[in-house]
Amino acid sequence: MVDTAGSLGHDIDRSGVPLIRASGVWKIFGRHAARVIGTPDADLPRAELRMKHDCVAAVRDVSFEVWPGEVFVVMGLSGSGKSTLVRTLIRLIEPSAGDIQIDGKDVNALSRAGLLQLRRHTSSMVFQHFGLLAHRRVIDNVAFGLEVQGVAKAKRLARAAEVLELVGLEDCANQFPDQLSGGMQQRVGLARAFAVDPKVMLYDEPFSALDPLIRRDMQDEVCRLQLETGKTMVFITHDLPEALRLGDRIAIMRDGKIVQLGTPEELVGSPADDYVQNFTRDIPRSHVLTLRWIMREPQPGEEDGPQLDVRTTVRHAVPLIVGGERPVCAVEDGRVVGVVDREAVLTAIAGEND
Amino acid sequence: MAVARVPVQLALPAPRPWWRGRAGLVVAVALGMLIAFLGWRNQLLWPATLTWNALAHHLDDFQTWLSNNRNVPHPSVFFRAFNGFADFLDHIVGWLTTFLFKLTWVGTTALGVLLVLRFGGRRAAFGVLAAFVSFAAMGLWEPSMRTFALTFASVSLSLAVGLPLGVLAGRSNRFRRAITPVLDAMQIIPAFAYLMPIVLLFSVGPGAAVVTTMIYSIPPAIRITALGIRSVPTNTVEAAAALGATRLQTLLKVQLPLARRLLLLAVNQTILFALSMVVIAGLIGGQGLGDVVTSGLYSNPALALLAGAAIVIMAIALDRATEAMAIRTDPAHRHLTEGRRRMLRLYTLACAAGVGLAVGLAHALGASSVWTRSTAQEWLLRQVQSALDYVQNPSTFVFHITNPVGNFIVEYGLTPLRSFFVETPWPAMTFGLALIAFLVSGLRPALVTLAMLALIGVTGEWTNAMDTASQVLVATVLTMIVGVPLGVWAAESARTRRVMRPVLDVLQTLPQLVYIIPFIYLMPVSIVPGVMASVLYASPVVIRLVEAGIREVSPHTVEAAGAFGATRLQTLLKVKIPLARDAIMLGVNQGMIMVLAVVVIGGLVGSGALGYDVAQGLQQSLFGQGVLASLAILALGTALDRVTQGRTRKRIEGLS
Repeated sequence: MVDTAGSLGHDIDRSGVPLIRASGVWKIFGRHAARVIGTPDADLPRAELRMKHDCVAAVRDVSFEVWPGEVFVVMGLSGSGKSTLVRTLIRLIEPSAGDIQIDGKDVNALSRAGLLQLRRHTSSMVFQHFGLLAHRRVIDNVAFGLEVQGVAKAKRLARAAEVLELVGLEDCANQFPDQLSGGMQQRVGLARAFAVDPKVMLYDEPFSALDPLIRRDMQDEVCRLQLETGKTMVFITHDLPEALRLGDRIAIMRDGKIVQLGTPEELVGSPADDYVQNFTRDIPRSHVLTLRWIMREPQPGEEDGPQLDVRTTVRHAVPLIVGGERPVCAVEDGRVVGVVDREAVLTAIAGEND
Repeated sequence: MAVARVPVQLALPAPRPWWRGRAGLVVAVALGMLIAFLGWRNQLLWPATLTWNALAHHLDDFQTWLSNNRNVPHPSVFFRAFNGFADFLDHIVGWLTTFLFKLTWVGTTALGVLLVLRFGGRRAAFGVLAAFVSFAAMGLWEPSMRTFALTFASVSLSLAVGLPLGVLAGRSNRFRRAITPVLDAMQIIPAFAYLMPIVLLFSVGPGAAVVTTMIYSIPPAIRITALGIRSVPTNTVEAAAALGATRLQTLLKVQLPLARRLLLLAVNQTILFALSMVVIAGLIGGQGLGDVVTSGLYSNPALALLAGAAIVIMAIALDRATEAMAIRTDPAHRHLTEGRRRMLRLYTLACAAGVGLAVGLAHALGASSVWTRSTAQEWLLRQVQSALDYVQNPSTFVFHITNPVGNFIVEYGLTPLRSFFVETPWPAMTFGLALIAFLVSGLRPALVTLAMLALIGVTGEWTNAMDTASQVLVATVLTMIVGVPLGVWAAESARTRRVMRPVLDVLQTLPQLVYIIPFIYLMPVSIVPGVMASVLYASPVVIRLVEAGIREVSPHTVEAAGAFGATRLQTLLKVKIPLARDAIMLGVNQGMIMVLAVVVIGGLVGSGALGYDVAQGLQQSLFGQGVLASLAILALGTALDRVTQGRTRKRIEGLS
């Protein structure tokens, strides 16, 4: 099952400046990184680059923006450079080149102290293998971010208890990580990231190590937390349904490059190349595409039919369109922009899995 | 209808000629050396022109100069600092001993037992109590306490140096790369070889004993600590960094606590390494059990054996106690609640009060500082002595086994090999060994081998070193004859493994010199005790390496062999042993190094050669000669290591 974030209606603020702006980010592992960037060699395929310069290009010339309140998903197979990319954002891995701005600060220009401030107050991160401290209680784990900031013990434990309640783990505060299931451990990881009240949350494949059912629970949890707190998120995953469920916009990476960046329906509706199409082939189109993708120009006399928002997914429009006699009008900002009839819906559903 | 069969001509690759295989070439080189030996026997000994004869005198002069400058009324700043350091090392053992004696025997026992009871649990505390009782029963209370003080001081200082360096090596790749060859060298050099230089610098006394022990026990502390820091999951360290932890915060709050298990293993191993040096430390002024062993070597072997047993008991008790304390106090597995925490705090207070009470009562009732009352020492000594007499008596059954075995080894092993090594023309020997090193290990090891052999020649110890080398070779062959089959057997049978484990544990904790004592009686033929003892000392490690190597062979490969109908023997010979070849080769390498360590100690009891020169240096203050022999041991050890290290060097952490 796929639900897109669009139907959840994240409150994205595109009026001001983006919270994260990355432009021309490169990461090349190896001693001769500087020699490669900016030359034609930088576009060589991986194997050749390794042969010629003995280095690996993990991220190549990546640019994107993330707006406040947005959930930005980076998707790609293993080795596509997505985890490296998210680490370069807060310089857990130093980028080889490029410009990164978070919350108005030039990350590359930050001093050590400035970088610590950024990591302590602006961003926080959730990891694939949780990265919990086995020798501390759950509540101490959650309070860890505040502890390294130097917050007094009573205060940070109170905040940790608050956040534990938010993720539904208030009964486990005094237990130890190894007494919890994998899903619960990752809730602790979530709580730890939330406890410092960051502006942006970075998720590095947080649910890849979990069972499918629990993964779904956790995705719901993230959706709920996002709705409740309105945090900006950068979410790394290799799972396309997960990307479609959570993301407002999705960047698909391959060999260190972004091959397509767009909303879920753009990826499914008009894949940029065969690679993206291969990915999206098994996705039920009616669950992702909105009326905008199947509507046609209204003919005279059709404009007073039943109305639906143009952002409604095809699946949700089915009962009204198939059950009713008249074509449905797609509305944007109170204005009818097109109509959808039974034939269009059936084509969209039947045309699936081509 | 008959189909005419055309014989298919398969182009079989020609079998590789013998001179293309490495084993064939090594044999060829050895044969060449043998021909040189037969043809020019005794004609080309190491030439006097290539020996630096005055070196020994220079070293003697240096020693005199050093002691003169140190002992003048107003030494220079450098010597004052050096003297201060040496005095500190001397005194730290003294302070600790005095402290233990002030507690009285009651207080010491109470402190040891209650401390372990609180943090390690009942079983470990019982073990500690049993150890104290056995020290008292053996009449060795005082030397035991002195040995404990020496060990405690050495371990504390080793950890003070080793843990920080280990943390550094765990966090910095560059530092680790820089320090690894140093640690390798420290572990190759036989302990016996660095006694002379240390005596030269620190003269005989507790300080020298502490330094000797530290050199031996720092490498495992560094290695295991570094391993511990490295074994902390990367994503946990990353998570701390992502939350804005500084490097120091990451170290203190994440890396050290999560590396706890291995850090405590480092402590545990440092203790065991230090204890196994106690006897050798006894040679250069370390008081206590080691002293009892070394001085009893000739005059009272039964007492020496008893003291050896006391060292083993102390090692086992400390090993179990530290292990139990490490496990029981691990917060990641204990899951303490607030209530239990409070209970434990009370428990700690109660134990501390118990110790205080015991000390107070002991002083009030006038308990002595050490246990001197009724002991079973006389009785025990009689038993040990009668056992020694029994094996030595020509009319007993044992004698009829040990005597011919000893004679056989001398007649067909040691004597011919000794004359081969000593009497082969030196160019054939040096270049032959270097060539073998090249074939087995590569160019760089071959060059190192050549340089080391040249160094041996220059120091004037060529004949002695070749003599030692022949003993090492015989002992290594015997070790492999014992070790490989037992290792294979242990790998194949879980029951054998279970039976062997405690035996190997004890053999590995016994100090090197203690091995030699029984063989002085069992095989009283000059060189044999040293050789046999070294076989016994090196076998456990070879057995463990071979066993681990065979058990590491992938079960899928073994299963596949079984699916094709291979018998157990076929699987063993065609699959497991070939795949475990690297481990077996490592066994040869490690076995040889360990054999060398004991063979040179044999110099104390008649093995002659390099060890004898060191022993003379220690006992008769022939400094220069002793230092040169030490240098030759170092060179010989390095050369033997390089010849056998193979192309893929694997060091198994903490095993050697």
